[in-house]
Amino acid sequence: MKRKRDYQALDSLDTVYGYYIQMTLGKFLVRRILQGVFVIWGVITIMFGLRAVSPGDPANLMLAEGATQALVEQVREEEGLNEPIYVQYFDYLQGMVVGDFGYSWQSNREVEAMVIERIPATVELAVAATIVAIVIAIPLGVVSATRRNQPSDYGATLFSLLGISTPNFWLGLMLILILGVWAGLFPTGRRPVGFGTAVLTLAQTGSPSDIFTWLKYIALPAITLGTYFTALITRLTRSGMVDELGKPYVTASQAKGLPAVLVRYKHVLRNTMIPILTVLGLQIGTLMGGAVITETVFNWPGLGLRLIDALDARDWPLMQGIVVFIAIAFVSINIVVDALYASLDPRVSDE
Amino acid sequence: MISERVKSNLKQTFSESLLPKIGLLLLISILFMAMFAPILATHDPTRTGHYTEEGAEYPPLGHEYTTQVAADGEIGEVTVRGSSEHVLGTNNVGQDVYSRFLYGARISLLVGLLGTSMAVAIGVPVGLVAGYYGGRVDDGLMRIADVMLAFPALVLALALIGVFGESPVQVPDPIVLAGLAEGMPESIPIPGTVTIVVGLVTWVWFARVARGEALSIRNEEYVKAARSFGASNWTILSKHVLPNSLTPIIVLATIQVAVIILLEASLAYLGFSGTTLSWGYEIERGQDVLRTRPWVSMLPGIGIVLAVISVNLLGDWFRDALDPNIEGEGR
Repeated sequence: MKRKRDYQALDSLDTVYGYYIQMTLGKFLVRRILQGVFVIWGVITIMFGLRAVSPGDPANLMLAEGATQALVEQVREEEGLNEPIYVQYFDYLQGMVVGDFGYSWQSNREVEAMVIERIPATVELAVAATIVAIVIAIPLGVVSATRRNQPSDYGATLFSLLGISTPNFWLGLMLILILGVWAGLFPTGRRPVGFGTAVLTLAQTGSPSDIFTWLKYIALPAITLGTYFTALITRLTRSGMVDELGKPYVTASQAKGLPAVLVRYKHVLRNTMIPILTVLGLQIGTLMGGAVITETVFNWPGLGLRLIDALDARDWPLMQGIVVFIAIAFVSINIVVDALYASLDPRVSDE
Repeated sequence: MISERVKSNLKQTFSESLLPKIGLLLLISILFMAMFAPILATHDPTRTGHYTEEGAEYPPLGHEYTTQVAADGEIGEVTVRGSSEHVLGTNNVGQDVYSRFLYGARISLLVGLLGTSMAVAIGVPVGLVAGYYGGRVDDGLMRIADVMLAFPALVLALALIGVFGESPVQVPDPIVLAGLAEGMPESIPIPGTVTIVVGLVTWVWFARVARGEALSIRNEEYVKAARSFGASNWTILSKHVLPNSLTPIIVLATIQVAVIILLEASLAYLGFSGTTLSWGYEIERGQDVLRTRPWVSMLPGIGIVLAVISVNLLGDWFRDALDPNIEGEGR
């Protein structure tokens, strides 16, 4: 036990690194999943607690103004609002376990359905932004690290500094103004077609025009959401590469006669990417937060926009549903990232 | 606490690179702007109704635009020119953009500094205790931290503000009260809940870093020695562990000021702030007139970018000088 913890102390970017040394991958996964379940329970509980202390009678929020007292009472009874708080909590928890997130107070629709229908748009946006980020950032980071203190390095540094310092809602508005309104390169309204529909059209009619429309509409939001991550990954890649390049094995492989390009991309970049992966896993929350903003700026029909609508209407079941869904996504992605990390790290033996 | 070695590292990094100098210069200018906003401002930032004779908003000085105005029951087109009275123009409720730009710096910096202090005040003790005691205490506190991490900071902040309201706090302005600035508001509203909430949603990064430090420090020889002399855990934590973990905490705190400035701006943009003086709020307001009066959104955005860049440059400087291993945490 003691030795394990000492390892952990070596690295402040710890979560996985070191802590699970000498643990099998299977055991490691079981442990991570149990932790994940705990985290999701924690999120559900905090959201329930917030709802419990939030001002305003839910029955009044559900009903139109001027509803009779009898009607309010009826709704309170039906919704279980007259039960003691712990009964409400366990009912709520029970519902969550079986995937019953309740009904939206505002529209009276099932929360699950309202969440699920908005997932594709957000996933499309998040994936597009991540692709933008990776495609730009990794080459930029590599160039920056291998040509240190040259103009291309300064350019990349300046770009990444601007990228992490620009609020994405403002960036989005400026992109709309400059590329959308002034240059007329991109449409600025709400998108007419989603990816699913576009692919369906392509499959049925063979016409890719919907795909092009989709691409034109997603370009600015993806750049808006992706810029911060582009900047972040550029910085991480640069500093990681700089560290790696100074290690003895680089000199050794070059001395052995391996071409510099091979060493750089096959060994150094790979070793650099492993810790970056963990940091990025933890950034999924930032990505989701960014999606909320980006969707608001571009009126993008995703989960984030729905969350803001729910907040404005104080529609708690919907808000809780979306937040819990985001937490589940965060936890799952991080478990996958950790598992990848563990399987890449030779120190985690799998017997 | 701050050793000679640290001081010389800071000096050396500062003199070797241009970026820390730019950062420091920028930050000092923004601090100056924020502090002396009432003196530098030309108009009361909250006073509405500064319109041209035709009833249109002023563009920035040197610019002009064409707009439709209603006059004598008819709608006509007029060309509006900028005026030296409102150098950066007026916004869509007729407030002076330049004066609001100055006051916005106050909100950003105040929330950034106070919010970060909140996060430090919660996160550092939690992390130190978790790392120092280890075992169950560590497991328990770190599981709570895991839960916090699963919430996107912005989303949790929105939920908390939704529950507790915006509660702006009126803070008296010493410069106006001292009679140094005529016609400026005697107090400005600081977004109360936001300041607390941004700390509540970001403390976990400090807890992680402080924990890592405590974990390594607790096994150092001098801690063992102190323990063998009978020093209490409290003494060891406050006299040895805390001072020796300060470096990465300071680096993180600097970077977090930037993160919190951005978070505050985002919350204000979404309409959850409690003060209309925030740069983020002003950008949201300008969104409605983005096509015709882009300056309303443009200037506050530049303000945010400059403030965040200056803090980030400072953070990079500290990091390069003190602790090269912290990159990527807390963003």
